[in-house]
Amino acid sequence: MTKPTDLVQGTLDLLILKTIALQPLHGWAIAQRIRQVSNNVLQVNQGALYPALHRLEQQAWIKSAWGESENNRKAKYYSLTRAGKKYLHSEESNWLRLSSAIGLVLKNV
Amino acid sequence: MRRLQSLFNWFFSLFHKPSLDAELSDELRFHLDRQIAENIASGMSPTEARRAALRDFGGVAKFTEASRDARRTNFLENLLQDIRFGARMLRKSPAFTFFAVAVLAIGIAANSAIFSVADAVLLRPLPYRDANRLVIVWEDASAIGFPSDTPAPGDFSEWRSRNQVFTDMAASSFGSSVALTGQGNPEKLGGRAVTANLFSVLGVSPALGRDFLPEDDVPGAAPIVILSHGLWLRRFAGDPQIVGRQIWLNYEKTTVIGVMPRGFQFPDREAEVWIPIRFSKEELANRGNHYLQVVARLKFGVSLAAANADLSVIAKQLEKQYPDTNTKVGANAVALRDQFAGDVRPALLMLVGAVCFVLLIACANVANLLLSRAAGRRRELAMRLTLGATRTRILQQMLTESLLLALLAGTAGLLLSIFATQFLAALIPTGFAPITGATLDPRVLLFTLAVSLATGILFGIIPALRVSRVHIAPTLHQAGGRGSVGSGGQRLRNALVISEVALAIVLLAGAALLIRSLENLYHLDRGFQSDHVLVVHTPLSYPRYDAFPRRVSFYDQVLAKVQALPGVLSAGYTTWIPLTNPGGAVTITIEGRPEPAPGERLIPNLRMISANYPTALRMKLIAGRFFDHTDGPNTQLVALINETMARDYWPGENPLGKRLKRANYEDAPAKPWLTIVGIVGDVHQAALDLPARPEMYLPYMQLDLGYDPEYLAIHTSGDPMSLVESVRQQVWSVDSEQPVSGAMLLSDIVDDNLASRRLQASLLTGFAAIALLLVTLGIYAVLSFAVSQRTQEIGVRVALGAQPSQVLRMIFSQGLRLFAIGAALGLSAAFLLTRAISHLLFNVSPYDPASFAAITLLLAAVSLLACYLPARRATHLDPLIALRYD
Repeated sequence: MTKPTDLVQGTLDLLILKTIALQPLHGWAIAQRIRQVSNNVLQVNQGALYPALHRLEQQAWIKSAWGESENNRKAKYYSLTRAGKKYLHSEESNWLRLSSAIGLVLKNV
Repeated sequence: MRRLQSLFNWFFSLFHKPSLDAELSDELRFHLDRQIAENIASGMSPTEARRAALRDFGGVAKFTEASRDARRTNFLENLLQDIRFGARMLRKSPAFTFFAVAVLAIGIAANSAIFSVADAVLLRPLPYRDANRLVIVWEDASAIGFPSDTPAPGDFSEWRSRNQVFTDMAASSFGSSVALTGQGNPEKLGGRAVTANLFSVLGVSPALGRDFLPEDDVPGAAPIVILSHGLWLRRFAGDPQIVGRQIWLNYEKTTVIGVMPRGFQFPDREAEVWIPIRFSKEELANRGNHYLQVVARLKFGVSLAAANADLSVIAKQLEKQYPDTNTKVGANAVALRDQFAGDVRPALLMLVGAVCFVLLIACANVANLLLSRAAGRRRELAMRLTLGATRTRILQQMLTESLLLALLAGTAGLLLSIFATQFLAALIPTGFAPITGATLDPRVLLFTLAVSLATGILFGIIPALRVSRVHIAPTLHQAGGRGSVGSGGQRLRNALVISEVALAIVLLAGAALLIRSLENLYHLDRGFQSDHVLVVHTPLSYPRYDAFPRRVSFYDQVLAKVQALPGVLSAGYTTWIPLTNPGGAVTITIEGRPEPAPGERLIPNLRMISANYPTALRMKLIAGRFFDHTDGPNTQLVALINETMARDYWPGENPLGKRLKRANYEDAPAKPWLTIVGIVGDVHQAALDLPARPEMYLPYMQLDLGYDPEYLAIHTSGDPMSLVESVRQQVWSVDSEQPVSGAMLLSDIVDDNLASRRLQASLLTGFAAIALLLVTLGIYAVLSFAVSQRTQEIGVRVALGAQPSQVLRMIFSQGLRLFAIGAALGLSAAFLLTRAISHLLFNVSPYDPASFAAITLLLAAVSLLACYLPARRATHLDPLIALRYD
């Protein structure tokens, strides 16, 4: 396993929000999804994931509910709140703007 | 909306910590299980899978904490935890807690109590409008021994018309007493005769009725009076119809025209009625009788200095215009506030200084205690640091602990200060300042709390900063690991103790000097004996006793009756008992000498007495004889003079047999000659610590001088107070409407005079005693701790053959070294500072070696005592245990 790239906190928030935008997921699944979709580049450590999740929840961007997991174990599922959805959209467009700007600089300097 | 939700989440987290924590661990366990499952799926064995998963998880505690942090309730949770922990720590070391709280509480209580008293006497507003612009104007007749002389009406009226610096000037007579009769017991009231504008100068109007008008203030107008609020309630039951009512005042039907507001007093609580002074034209031109108190209000923008300048100009004009009466007479304006609190100020400032000292000592002590304790907990803290506590967290916790301590001490101090203030307020000599009693006021509350919080923070920081800088490894490994590293800490603790000793010495020096002054005063030869003497005040009122023979008959009869009472050894009348009137003087000329120039006049005090008065007071007879039954209304006119008068007016001669008479004023009829028949010892009239003035005594029945005896002094064999009723009855059997009041012991009058000094001395001694106690504790604490630090070292020494006496000496020398340095510092400081109270001393030099030596010895003895217990403990250490002490 390659060393996971350190993710800036804000970026992690964005990834989490995007990941659960489609459907509610529990913490384990969120980490898995991010790893899969990024081709194992982004490996989110539990030490970063759960604090981030709880922070987002405290700030009411996401909400949680206990439910049954795939293997009939109790797990905590996270989903977006309405405010969270709006926040996601604004953060997503910010990120895209930022990354293309960086790309321009890297290409043309 | 989101914010609301967020806030709600925060609140929720605050109160549901346990369930949330449980949820968190459930969640993490779920994650862990899934990770293990995945590991197994990718080929690891179950045990390895578990181990790998756990390793991946890393420090669970750490991010559990981080998750909890994310809930943002940390600050409050930590605070609560700190408080609980702090409380538990304090409970576990009750001795420390008790001492620390006691020390701080005492310091704070002393502080607040004195502050309240000082506040009451100095800083509380006077009950007059814009009181800072009010001044009292005295005549400056220092040339004849009266630097603050009561002005004469003539001077008052000149000042009033010529000045340019006052909006107005008013005058009041000094302490007239007024008889209230016609309802219930006849009573003598304190009253003042005032000019009509007095209350408007003071800026206060009556609450009921009306103020005086100029037309009320002319001779011959109908008798009117304004009452004080207290009197209105006390004798007239707050009668709402009081205005317009007629009462018997000085045997005259007097109409009440007004009542002053509650809390108003002028000049002090003694005065309960005010009547118009009604100067006649002649009185207003009189520059010879000095008996007024003059109040004036400064014009806006005029300073006291400017006013005094103007007054001296006027005084010079008067000197030129009336050389007879006004030579070398100046004028002096003093701020009203200073006048009423003047004497007290330097003493109060000294006391405030003392308070600061005690507080400093207390703070140093507690700081020491906390430092020692913190140093003792080094190891514990080092361990906590390794377990992951952040430095800030530790600092926070220590700070909370000291704040808790400070708050405890603040509360205890507050309660203590309530009692202390009441106690002190009762000690304020009455008539000190016209300001009502001292109560603990809210500003002091806040001040106290601020002080306690500040001290809490102050010592919270020093030990906490110190300790959090601890180096972990050396501390944990330290043999004798209770943190014997810490020479830096020890130095600070030593410095604190040294400063405590120094401060205590200064306090003790001040106290010792004051006590010696007091001693000197008590043992001063006053010229009379005050034990077993009852004093009763029976001033005769005019116009009832207009006729001189009637007065003489009154005195004759009362004296005869009272002297016949069982238990009475002798009784005598006098115009003023010692210490009640510094003045009462007349101008005289001596036979065979030219009339002295104005400004060089002879003005002895005058007292009209009965024959047995000197015996009743056991005055000393220096030469000649006292008055006796041979001196009567128709015999040779005689006089007694005191030592000072004999010495000053007849230097080198024998005054017996010489003659003198009262000086002639303007066109007054010639005065008769008086022959001196005796010389008596000096009696202090003004105050015990002021030198006696020349004084002469005349028999009351020989001349009608308007200096009627008012005070009856009765020398009793038993308890004087037991005779009060019988004396009253005897007086009333002569005249049933004669007010008889002021029954008190002469010894009380003397004590009263010394009261302020006694107060200062007791307070300062109290502080010094507290300081002594605190210093003892301080030294004891430091040495105790030093012993526990050096336990191993001592064990080694003993094992190597040191004798107990050597161990003792070691500890003692450590303690005494601290004392010696502190004492040296303290003594030098005391030399510098005692000069500041030199004017409070009496017959004692501020560098009095005896006092300094005495207190140094006292403190040395006390320090030795403080060293004793720890030193003893050191000698009793079992070397085996000590060596293994860890």
